[in-house]
Amino acid sequence: MDIYSFLDLTLLDASATERDIVSLCNEALTNNYKSVCINSCYVLLANQLLRKTPVKICSVVGFPLGAMSTAAKVFEAKKAIEDGADEIEMVINIGLLKSRNYMALLKDIIDVKLAIGKKPLKVIIEINKLSKNEVIKACEICLDAKADYIKTCTGIGTKGSTLTSVKIIKKTIKDQAKIAASGNINDIETAKKYIELGVESIGTNPEIKKSKAKIVSKVY
Amino acid sequence: MTINTYIDHTLLKPTATEQDIIKLCEEAIAYEFFSVCVNSCYVPLAYQQLKHSKIKVCSVIGFPLGAMSTLAKVSETQTALQEGADEIDMVMNVGFLKSQDFDKVKNDIESVKKIMPHNTLKVILETCYLEDHEIIKASELAIEAGADFIKTSTGFGSRGANIHDIELMKNATKGTPVKIKASGGIRDTQTALEYINLGVERLGTSSGIAILNGETSNSNY
Repeated sequence: MDIYSFLDLTLLDASATERDIVSLCNEALTNNYKSVCINSCYVLLANQLLRKTPVKICSVVGFPLGAMSTAAKVFEAKKAIEDGADEIEMVINIGLLKSRNYMALLKDIIDVKLAIGKKPLKVIIEINKLSKNEVIKACEICLDAKADYIKTCTGIGTKGSTLTSVKIIKKTIKDQAKIAASGNINDIETAKKYIELGVESIGTNPEIKKSKAKIVSKVY
Repeated sequence: MTINTYIDHTLLKPTATEQDIIKLCEEAIAYEFFSVCVNSCYVPLAYQQLKHSKIKVCSVIGFPLGAMSTLAKVSETQTALQEGADEIDMVMNVGFLKSQDFDKVKNDIESVKKIMPHNTLKVILETCYLEDHEIIKASELAIEAGADFIKTSTGFGSRGANIHDIELMKNATKGTPVKIKASGGIRDTQTALEYINLGVERLGTSSGIAILNGETSNSNY
């Protein structure tokens, strides 16, 4: 198994510079990561570096609070695609979920999905802020909205993914959508555990390479 | 002194429900705060609650990372204004500032200000991530780009406002009409008064009621 083909190399810090993004893209190319995952202001720059390479560009939208107006999420997603993004990763509106305003929640996702056509849509449900029942409801709404992936976490301000949460998601959605996980997945061994559960896309940072080096040196 | 009119009564956590926003608006009316500060998805609701009052609606934009594309910030602003926002608190693109791509930092702010010439624009510098010289540069760029206020913090960074940052910003605004909003970690009357005495003209806080009652709140914003 080529583990890197599951990994989305992610840099979403507010203070990430243009130079940091260039180095992220180079790292993704060198090690054949599946994609880079970045804020929408850097999609143009990443596209200049990764166009005509197999490494995909994933832009976050409404990140990380998910509390942006639907119209703004739609616009941010459209603009990111125009700038060269191959995938969109939006954050669910957690406040609307907790308000049980499921119609508005569904519309938020559907409108983005319609705006980006055939490009894959990942919806981050931010499991750390949800009860088990809310995770299940969020998954059902993502399925209704035809999300391509359901993703566990933003990786910002929370403790991140757990294997248990992935199992709950998997049980709810079965094979109707793919699962992406991120947050707290910083070494190859942990990544493999998620992949064994059926996770098809893993958000991680460049530190993961060092963990592999450690594993290799142990084996040999 | 009436501290209440300095306060943007703020609720930005992503788990805030519609009920929470309604309560925020009721409190703002009861205590006569200057405004409520909310995420853009709640502007229509806040507007409904406050349209018959003097309380203004303030929407954050590109929040809290400031790393959204410029056109997306403009679009978010446009929608917020259409839906009833009076004031806009946008986050500066900190990454561009750190890349020393100052034209892009300025263009980001100018593009937003251009579509709201008659509304108040506050630009959040997020000082917790900046060195002193970057705080000065960020202030200058925001002022040149047409900001009405420069604001210290989102409340989601590694820390909120402090006296040192406010002094640097105050210095940068000398000789201009630009005002200062302090935010992040303002939880008691003493801190609020300290900032006001430094020349701060607006306070962003979730602890407005505790501040008015002379108590200390445990909220982080």
